[in-house]
Amino acid sequence: MKWRKLGHIFDPSKHSLPNNCAEYAQSPQALVLQDRVRIYFSTRESEANGKFLSHIAFVDFNKKMDCCLGVSDRPVISLGSLGCFDEHGIFPMNVVQHGEDIYGFTCGWSRRVSVSVETSIGIAVSRDGGRTFERRADGPVMTSSLREPMLVGDPFVVMLGGVWHMWYIFGVKWAPANNVDPAPARVYKIAHATSVDTINWARDGKQIISDVFGPDECQALPTVLKIGRRFHMYFCFRQATDFRKNPHRGYRLGYAFSDDLVTWTRDDQSAGISFSPNGWDSAMLCYPHLFESEGSVYLLYNGNEFGRRGFGLARFEG
Amino acid sequence: MIRIAAVVRFTCLAALSDHPDMFKWVKLGKVFDPTTGSRSEWMKEFAQAPCVLKFEDFIRVYFSCRPAPDSRGQYVSRSAYLDLDRKNLFNILSISEQPTIGLGDLGSFDEFGTYPTSVIRWNGQVWAYYGGWTRCDSVPFNVAIGLAVSNDDGATFSKSGPGPVLSYSQEEPFVISGPKIRQFGDKMFLFYIAGERWLTNSGRPEPVYRIRMASSRDGLIWKKHNEDLIPRRLETNECQASPDVYFSNGRYHMFFCYRYGLDYRNHSRGYRIGYAVSEDLEHWARDDSRAGIDVSSEGWDSEMVSYPHVFELDGSVYMLYLGNQVGRHGFGLARLEGSL
Repeated sequence: MKWRKLGHIFDPSKHSLPNNCAEYAQSPQALVLQDRVRIYFSTRESEANGKFLSHIAFVDFNKKMDCCLGVSDRPVISLGSLGCFDEHGIFPMNVVQHGEDIYGFTCGWSRRVSVSVETSIGIAVSRDGGRTFERRADGPVMTSSLREPMLVGDPFVVMLGGVWHMWYIFGVKWAPANNVDPAPARVYKIAHATSVDTINWARDGKQIISDVFGPDECQALPTVLKIGRRFHMYFCFRQATDFRKNPHRGYRLGYAFSDDLVTWTRDDQSAGISFSPNGWDSAMLCYPHLFESEGSVYLLYNGNEFGRRGFGLARFEG
Repeated sequence: MIRIAAVVRFTCLAALSDHPDMFKWVKLGKVFDPTTGSRSEWMKEFAQAPCVLKFEDFIRVYFSCRPAPDSRGQYVSRSAYLDLDRKNLFNILSISEQPTIGLGDLGSFDEFGTYPTSVIRWNGQVWAYYGGWTRCDSVPFNVAIGLAVSNDDGATFSKSGPGPVLSYSQEEPFVISGPKIRQFGDKMFLFYIAGERWLTNSGRPEPVYRIRMASSRDGLIWKKHNEDLIPRRLETNECQASPDVYFSNGRYHMFFCYRYGLDYRNHSRGYRIGYAVSEDLEHWARDDSRAGIDVSSEGWDSEMVSYPHVFELDGSVYMLYLGNQVGRHGFGLARLEGSL
């Protein structure tokens, strides 16, 4: 796979965003509209207790992706009510248009005590062309289950042949804190679910992408696009610990392909995109998102510090 | 014949009670007090949500108990059982030496408690459905229902998986708890509670929960009914728990408990036992005035009665239930006069 990096296209600190959000534009997700490409991302509001709330905002680009048209001027979706799965953040929201309907598949965050967080997947619907979304219900459509004990999140949804396919992640464990890592460390893997109605999902809790770092590898944010007859998946992966500031252990992009949506062959060597020698994506690459606009295939992704300074873009060159 | 018998019974009871159809439970007293009857560190107080599994010579009563609270006053809840002599239900034959279900790993849904537990014989094994407790930041806890299976007749259990078997969903966003497992025909039914909303309560949030139902062919994949089964009676914040369903004389009888949503740790707003009846498990007619069991004027169950469990044994129908402080000092027994 060959990619041409088009650079750091969005820096949240250079825009005025709702909810007093000034830093982070994480997990960019595109909705290709008739006259523009709307890119949703998660940005952060600081609370007095030092914790963050993740909010969804968007920025519009022209369809050639070379001109920024403006950012959302109001909250895109509210956070969940007291005690709900998405009370403390939505990160990310995958937006899918199907006929007249625009769905937002959310990864909702709620804080825990013995570990930092738990996540589940919810659904929201937009009735104004993707400017705002309302959750369909207070509860999630996918949460932990017998074989997926925690941290169900990062949905990426596509309708293929009348069936909804979702790639997502689930947690396999929290490793206890130790001398090196003062907080418990989570480990999560990529899985696949299908549905005919977007509400009831069939899943078997099986990891579909093999590990290269071993059982403690963390795999996140799968994104899938069909090019020709082959399905291509990008995702990010890292070591479970010491990953925030150590580029040797932090997020980078992984790649896998499949011809049948059942068996995936991992082939990171063919990913075709890696760290830049210097600059905004020199120490980390994460949260990839594939989409097509005007006949070109693009890859959105975050760089250093998990997208604190925004995201960049690359174009597929074959 | 059945109809004639019912008329006779109602006639007899009319002289004893206000409601002509009221059941009459005779309180037999407290069966077990963990604060005096246990020597285990993990069973210091509370014996909650009793549930019976019958054996030839004894009945095994599962319940949830607690070790002493931690330095911040927080409890974990453990699952236990005791065996009662079938010929004298006040004769305790033995108490489980270890908790029957382990606590979950770090970050799991059942890390901080397994309460309550409901068991059933199924596929030659004993299956236990339990509420798994985790601790949250903005609200004190969340609960989802787990499954553990026993291959030694209910003495020890291993979990069917590290996650819950019945958890939060669109219409039931949190606090999926209080499972009661039943088999009717070839289907399994879970009666349980689901949180409806959290009350902010001046920074000490309290959940409002209602009685719900799900059904399954295999006990693993559940279809939620997604309806409240029992209408509210006290107030919009009424909380309902312990939906204990018993089939008798062609009808499904449910004894449950209910209380006010806030300030409920006292006589006037605490748990009482309610009753509802159904022909089809989906439509229930609530009539608490028929429940026939209430707080005593004094003693261990004078402030509240809760967590009923009804079972039949050797021709009699019994109810195990909790008294004051939701079972801090254990559970007691009542026997039904007549039949359901």
